[in-house]
Amino acid sequence: MSTTATTETPVTFSREIANLLHAAGGNPVSSCMQCGTCSGTCPVGDFMDVRPQRLIRMIDAGMKDQVMATRSFWYCASCYQCTVRCPRGIDIAELMYGLKRFTIWRSKYPEDLIGPTFSETFVKNIVRTGRSYEPVLATSYFFTLGLKEMLQEATGATMLMLKGRLPVLPARIKRLENFKRMIKRIIPIGD
Amino acid sequence: MANIKATEQPRIGVYICHCGHNIAATIDVAAVAKFAEKLPGVALARDYKYMCSAPGQDLIQSDIEGHKLNRVVVASCSPLLHEHTFRNATEKGGINPFLFQMVNIREHNSWVHTDRAIATEKAKAQVQGAIRRVAGHSALETKRVPIHPDVLVVGGGIAGIHAAMTLANAGKKVYLVEREPSIGGHMAKFDKTFPTLDCAACILTPKMSSVGSHPNITLWSYSEVAKVDGFVGNYTVQVKRKPRYINEDLCTGCQECISSCVFKEPKFPDEFNERLGKRRPVYIPFAQATPQVVLIDPEVCLNFKRQKGPNGEPVVGDKCKKTCVEACGENKAIDFTQKEEIKEIQVGTVIVATGFKTFDATRVPYFGYGKYPNVYTSLEVERLVNASGPTGGHVVLRDGKEPKTIAIAHCIGSRDENTNRHCSRVCCMYSLKLAHLLKEHTGAEIYNFYIDMRTPGKGFEEFYQSVAAEGVHFVRGKIADVYPEAGGTGKLIVQAEDTLLGRVRKQPVDMVVLAVGLEPQADAQDVRRMFNMSCGSEGFFLERHPKLAPVSTFTDGVFIAGACQSPKDIPDTVAQAGAAAAEAMALIDKGHVEQEPNTAFIIEDECSGCKSCVPLCPYTAITFDEAKKKAVINEALCKGCGTCVASCPSGSIKQNLFEDGEIFAEIEGVLAQV
Repeated sequence: MSTTATTETPVTFSREIANLLHAAGGNPVSSCMQCGTCSGTCPVGDFMDVRPQRLIRMIDAGMKDQVMATRSFWYCASCYQCTVRCPRGIDIAELMYGLKRFTIWRSKYPEDLIGPTFSETFVKNIVRTGRSYEPVLATSYFFTLGLKEMLQEATGATMLMLKGRLPVLPARIKRLENFKRMIKRIIPIGD
Repeated sequence: MANIKATEQPRIGVYICHCGHNIAATIDVAAVAKFAEKLPGVALARDYKYMCSAPGQDLIQSDIEGHKLNRVVVASCSPLLHEHTFRNATEKGGINPFLFQMVNIREHNSWVHTDRAIATEKAKAQVQGAIRRVAGHSALETKRVPIHPDVLVVGGGIAGIHAAMTLANAGKKVYLVEREPSIGGHMAKFDKTFPTLDCAACILTPKMSSVGSHPNITLWSYSEVAKVDGFVGNYTVQVKRKPRYINEDLCTGCQECISSCVFKEPKFPDEFNERLGKRRPVYIPFAQATPQVVLIDPEVCLNFKRQKGPNGEPVVGDKCKKTCVEACGENKAIDFTQKEEIKEIQVGTVIVATGFKTFDATRVPYFGYGKYPNVYTSLEVERLVNASGPTGGHVVLRDGKEPKTIAIAHCIGSRDENTNRHCSRVCCMYSLKLAHLLKEHTGAEIYNFYIDMRTPGKGFEEFYQSVAAEGVHFVRGKIADVYPEAGGTGKLIVQAEDTLLGRVRKQPVDMVVLAVGLEPQADAQDVRRMFNMSCGSEGFFLERHPKLAPVSTFTDGVFIAGACQSPKDIPDTVAQAGAAAAEAMALIDKGHVEQEPNTAFIIEDECSGCKSCVPLCPYTAITFDEAKKKAVINEALCKGCGTCVASCPSGSIKQNLFEDGEIFAEIEGVLAQV
């Protein structure tokens, strides 16, 4: 074993998160004072295994594996109430997005989550047609449902279609090529 | 003043200060000294570890003697800190103190640069500028201006009261100006004071009445400072005395008029009781108000209300039975024709003690203040627990019920990027005090929702412990939401993450107390402009130095005390008020101030008499001599701002220490090759 000291400082987890939020507005996660406003104010906090304030504490403590194993950020409803109320001006909702991206890139998220597939399907759909198409989107979670719920969903969808609230065929926007070129500039995504 | 132009050849001594590592770490001071040594006119150049130290100053003095120096340049820190020190050293060495020039190579150079080579080059350029400039300096004399011994104290809270009493007891004449009808400020509204729990009224009101009866204090309540002119030692101040429709000299404070008012029941919100109680149109703010003089609110008094002037202003009518005038009888103190009055006074020094205002809780709607009647601010609760308050000290909600559970929300309008970033410093302690008093009055379960408990004062931590021992609950987490409990129970739910428990607490309570933070007064900016002070980023008045001149401002002769400088508790406020009084006294007892000779002067032969400088002078120091048709500058009033110098079309106004030749020489020096 070599005992030579490495000159390169390893990138800490909190540093990785800071880089992730580099382009986002707001103050760095390290400015958190643990007041708990985000957790107390979160409308879906009851469903989270770890609420935002504790998640930030875990990031600060470098608990990378534990943070990536939580489901909290997949439950975030993006209501931005935490971001608006945070006394330290941290963009917590953006942090939740950042963590979602991070775990997708590293393919490190609980297997049974529908969030990652759902998000991926949604983005691909938008990139391909310029519009969201619910029947395709539904397949990302449809088969995880039990028989009863599946039936309920299908009935609901049929009713909506009959009323004209749900498109039967996927819609496309005009000048789709221009839109795709725009998207390519933003996201380095394949065809 | 004689402007003695030096005729002899300049022999300049140049001193480069290391300031420990502050300068030497970024600038090669030895190289700068070596460079300076070779410049024309320089007799010697040295670098030294601390020029401001006694040996450093001695160095200048002995060099002046030993090397026949007739000019001195010191490159060190800001002139604000040590220009005075080095001028003194120069003078002690035997030459005129204004044959000295200071170069700031710390704030302007080493502290703001990182590249040593470039910083050193810059320092050389700065020093070269000063060397060329100082060669053209003339010997000048400081002038002495006498100080008027009277003092103006603005604000009659505990800070203003204490400062005024200290000065008055020392035999100084004090004008105490208070905006409200009575002095006492916020402290008069409090029930008990932390951490000793002594009753605020018991310790304050004797001081208030001493102010009212002190022969050396002129108390002007219900008045505001309208205009300030002049300079240290000689301020002319205009005070606006608002009409209270009562002749203060004739009113005996019997309050017969109040009980005989045509309004049988008090009907109008009472400002002193935070609008929780009611008062009549003729009223006295509270029982121990000083001065013991009633006042009439023209907005609601029938005699005014029923008649308005063309601009909507209240006009004396004849529509009321005026039972108050009847009750006043022979005293004849009620005067409906009273008008606003402007008083002009001369003072030498000013103490600004204008205090604070509490945070407006409606700015953060999710705490429910103004929406749910059982959400109170801490100042309202101070009145509720006060025996002389609107409920006589019975803590009851707006519906008359006594609360069984109470939540106290800390940090409302403090420590928050969305409202105020600063910690208001007193809220933790007053929340503990209110928790104790509310528990004492009602026996309720009390929950304190805090972020960090800050109890760093004398006896504060012990108080925290005793309140905790009484069974008050502490939850570490800021309240994130307040909403009514489902099912119409009338209770409110306070929702907060208990960060220590890792669970969301949804606590049903009868009453929510918002521990609102302290903010600068709404008109702090106007006051700041009037006294030519500075403000910090939060809007509190800025002290001259945070450690060494905590009650001085950047305007000589104007001092600050109390919460107008930053949030602070009563002990600190009183300490600061005493300090401000001592600083004012130091100036008064010295009897005079020395003024910088950087005044402007007119070269009479060249003045064309165009008068363009006259209206431009911000200090009205320039008058026009009609006989000679020339402008005249009053040296005592000139502050050396240079406005007239720049504006003179014929270039016939010059300014000491800033003559064109000196400035151009400095520019050339800075820009010349180094």
